[in-house]
Amino acid sequence: MSEALSYFFMSWTDPYLLFLTAAGTFAGIYIGAIPGLSVTMAVSILISFTFKWHVNEALALIAGIYLGGVYGGSRSAILLNIPGAPAAIATALDGYPLAQRGEAGVAIGLTTVVSVLGGFIGIIALAVAAPQLSKLSLLFAPRDYLLLAIWGILLVGSLSGESMAKGVFAGAVGVLLGMVGLDPLTAEGRFTFGSIQLTGGIPYVAAMIGFFGVAEVLVQLHHLGVTPVKQNVSKILPSWALMRKYLPLGLRCSSIGVVIGALPGAGGDIAALMAYDHAKRTTRNPSRPFGEGAYEGLVAPESANNAAVGGAYIPMLTLGIPGDAVTAVIIGALYIHGLKPGPMMLIETPHLFWFCVGNLTLANIFLLPMGLSGIRIFAKIVETPKPILLPLILVLSAVGTYAIQNNPVDIYWMLGFGVFGYFLKMYGFQVGPVILGIILGPLMDVSYRRAMISTGDDPLAFLGEFFTAPISAVLVVALAVTILSQTSLWRALTGRGGGAKAPAI
Amino acid sequence: MSYRKLLGATALTLFAGLAAAAYPDRELTGVIMWGAGGATDVVARAVAPHAEAALGKKVVLVNKSGGTGAISTNFVNNAPADGYTLLYGAENPQLHQVLGIADFGYEKFYPVNVLGRGVAVIVVAKDAPWNSVKDFVEDAKKRPGKLKMGSTGPGGLPHTIGSMLNSVTKFQVISVPFDDESPDLTALMGGHVDMMPVGSGAATESIKAGRLKALSVIDTEPLPLQGFPNIPPITKEYPEFGKYLPWGPFYGIWVKRDTPEDVKATLTKAFKTAADNAQFQTLMKDRGNVMMNVSGAEADAFLKKWQSVTSWVLQDVGAAKVSPEKFGIPRP
Repeated sequence: MSEALSYFFMSWTDPYLLFLTAAGTFAGIYIGAIPGLSVTMAVSILISFTFKWHVNEALALIAGIYLGGVYGGSRSAILLNIPGAPAAIATALDGYPLAQRGEAGVAIGLTTVVSVLGGFIGIIALAVAAPQLSKLSLLFAPRDYLLLAIWGILLVGSLSGESMAKGVFAGAVGVLLGMVGLDPLTAEGRFTFGSIQLTGGIPYVAAMIGFFGVAEVLVQLHHLGVTPVKQNVSKILPSWALMRKYLPLGLRCSSIGVVIGALPGAGGDIAALMAYDHAKRTTRNPSRPFGEGAYEGLVAPESANNAAVGGAYIPMLTLGIPGDAVTAVIIGALYIHGLKPGPMMLIETPHLFWFCVGNLTLANIFLLPMGLSGIRIFAKIVETPKPILLPLILVLSAVGTYAIQNNPVDIYWMLGFGVFGYFLKMYGFQVGPVILGIILGPLMDVSYRRAMISTGDDPLAFLGEFFTAPISAVLVVALAVTILSQTSLWRALTGRGGGAKAPAI
Repeated sequence: MSYRKLLGATALTLFAGLAAAAYPDRELTGVIMWGAGGATDVVARAVAPHAEAALGKKVVLVNKSGGTGAISTNFVNNAPADGYTLLYGAENPQLHQVLGIADFGYEKFYPVNVLGRGVAVIVVAKDAPWNSVKDFVEDAKKRPGKLKMGSTGPGGLPHTIGSMLNSVTKFQVISVPFDDESPDLTALMGGHVDMMPVGSGAATESIKAGRLKALSVIDTEPLPLQGFPNIPPITKEYPEFGKYLPWGPFYGIWVKRDTPEDVKATLTKAFKTAADNAQFQTLMKDRGNVMMNVSGAEADAFLKKWQSVTSWVLQDVGAAKVSPEKFGIPRP
C-alpha cells in the first residue's frame, strides 16, 4: 500500500515530472482549443519525440495533454461556436449563446470547475473500480452499442429547434453523410462514385468545423453592423450555491462519462452528447431554456467528457485495450518504451497503474488554475469587431481542417458544409442534429448489422436477445422509460409536467 | 549580397552533378498509411528516430489514413520521385487490386526496407471447450453457421486466415466484422464471438494472463511464450496449411520505383542501420513481429509471393472483387 502511495505521488514530488505534467496540461488546453488540432495527433507526435525519455516522463506529459486537451475543446466552442474537438460539440449548444449574452467569462469558469469535477470522478473510478468496470465493458455486446446509439439519437428531439420535422431531416442528412465511404463491414464502396478520396469517408471533424464555424461566420455577415455584446468578466468563478445546485447533475453526468469512456467502441464525444441529453430530460427548471444558454447545458457535457478520460484509461491499464483513440496511441507509446500493455501489466508492473492514477490526479489539479487563468483576456475575443474576428475564424477553420489529416480536399468539404450549413440555418434547420447523425449513424449502422450477423440473421433471436441478456434488458427498460417520459400520458400519470416546458414539436 | 549570390550560383553549377550525392539536403516527409496508434503507426514512429540519425535529416511523419491505405499510396505516387516522400505502409496495398480499391499495389514502389512481419495466433476465450484448432473446426462442422469468428472485414487478417483454413478443411462459421483487433478482442473476452485469428502481439499478454486460450500459431514453427507452454504451429494439425506460409501482416518503407539509384541506396543503408537498432528490435519482438530487415530484390520477392498467395485465397473463397488474373498475379 505504501508502495502504491509512493508511486501515486511520484510525479508530485519529482520536480521534473511535476514540470512536465504542468507543461502538458497547459499545452493540452491550447491544442484542444484549436479545432482540427487533436489530442490524438499531439500525443502521436510526442511518441517519436519522447522515445529516448524515461517512460514516466513521457506518460506525465501525455496525461497532461490528454486532460488539458479534452477540456480545451470547450474554449473555442464557447467563444467562437467551433467545438475544438468532437467531445465539445454539446458544449457549443449552450456555451456559445452564453457568450453572445456577454457571459463568456462565467461560461468558461463554470466549464472549468465541472471539468475538474468530472476529471476527479473519472480518476476515482479508475483507482477504485477499474477491474469491475473493465469487466462491465466486456459485457457490452454489439446490440448494446446499438441501444446506446439509439438513446443518443433521441437527442435530435432536443436539438431540433423550431420544428421537429426539420430536426429529423437534418439528423437524416447527417446519417447519410456518415454512410459515405467504404462499408466498415464489407469494404464495399457506399456513395463513393468511384472516387478514391471518398473511400475514406467524409472526415467528420471537417464537417463539424464547417457546420459550426463557417456557417456561423456566414450568418454573422448579416449582422456586421451590430456591436458585439460587452462581456461581463467581473465574476468568473461560479458561486458555491451554484456549484451545490449543479453537483448532483455533474455527478450523474460524470458517471455516464466514466462508463461510456470505458467502452472500447465509444468515447468522450458520445459521452458528452448523452450527458447533454440526460440533462435536458431530467432538468425540470433549467437556468434558461436549453439551447439559449442554460448552465446545465455546460455542466453535463463538460463533466462527462473529462470523466471519460479516466474511463478510457480503465481498459487500457487493465486489459491493454484502448478505450478511445488517445489511449490507442498511449498503448503504442508504452510498447516503444519497452512495456507490454495487456492484462499482465497490472501484475508485472503494478506501480505503473498507480503512477498513471497519481499523474492524472496531478494534471487534473493543474487544470483548475490554468483553465481559470486568462479568462478575462479570452472573453475579449468575443468583443473583437466582426470585420477582424470573422476572417480570423475562417483562417483558423481552414488551418484546423487541413491539420486533421494533411489533406487539402478536407478544406473543400469544410467550406462546402459551411455554405450548406448557412442555408440550413437561414431556413430554420439546426446544424446540431446533422453532426449527431454523422457521429451516431455509423455506430447504429455497424452495431445493428453486427448484432444481426451474430444471431445468424435470425430476426427472432435478434429481438429475443434484447430481453434475455441482462445489460440489454436494462438498456431497453431505460430507453423505454426515456421515451415514455416524454409522452403526455406519462405526465398525466405522474402529475408532473404541468409546469415543465413542453418539448419543441 | 550579389557576391554571395554569385558564389551561390557558381557553387550550384559546379556541384549540380554532386547534388544527388548530397541527398538528403532537407527534411523528408514520411506518409503513414494508417492512423495514430495503429500497428503501422507505432512501427513507423519507432523506426523513424533511428533512421533520422542515420540520414542526418528529420523525417516529418504525417498520418494519411483512408481507403485502407489507398489515400497514402496515391499521395506518394503523385509526389516527385526524388526520395523526399517516403511511404510507411503495411500489407494492404498488395490487395488493393483484387479488392477493387485501386489499380496498383507495391509494384509501383521500391521497398526501402520491409522491416518485419507479424505472426498470427488463433485464440478462443479462456473457458472455451476447444483445445485445438481441430476441436473447433470439427465442432463447427457439426453445427454449421452456429459458431462465431471475430473478423475485421474482407481482406483483413482474420478473414484471410479463416479463408486459408477453409480452403484446407471446409467448415462454416459466422464471421462478425469489427473495426479492428481491439474491439474484436473485447468481444472475444466478453463471449460475443467464439474464436478469432489475431496478430500475436495483440494477444500474447492476454494469453499469459489466462484471459485467452491460444489454439495455434499460423506458422511452421511453434511460438515460444516465456514461462508458458509453446503455442503449436497450425501445420502440426493441418500440414497442407504450409503452402501459404510464412504469412502475416508486414510493415515497411517504400519510395517511388523511379527514384534515382543513389538516393535509393542512401535510404536503404539508413533504414538498414535503423532496423538493426537494438531498441527497435525489442519493440518489434514485444509486438509479436518477426524481424525481416530486407530491401530491394529480396523484399520484392517476398512481396510478390505474399500478393500471389493472398490474392488467390481471396479469389478462391469468392471474396475478391476482381480476379488476380486480370492484373497478371500468378497463382502460387
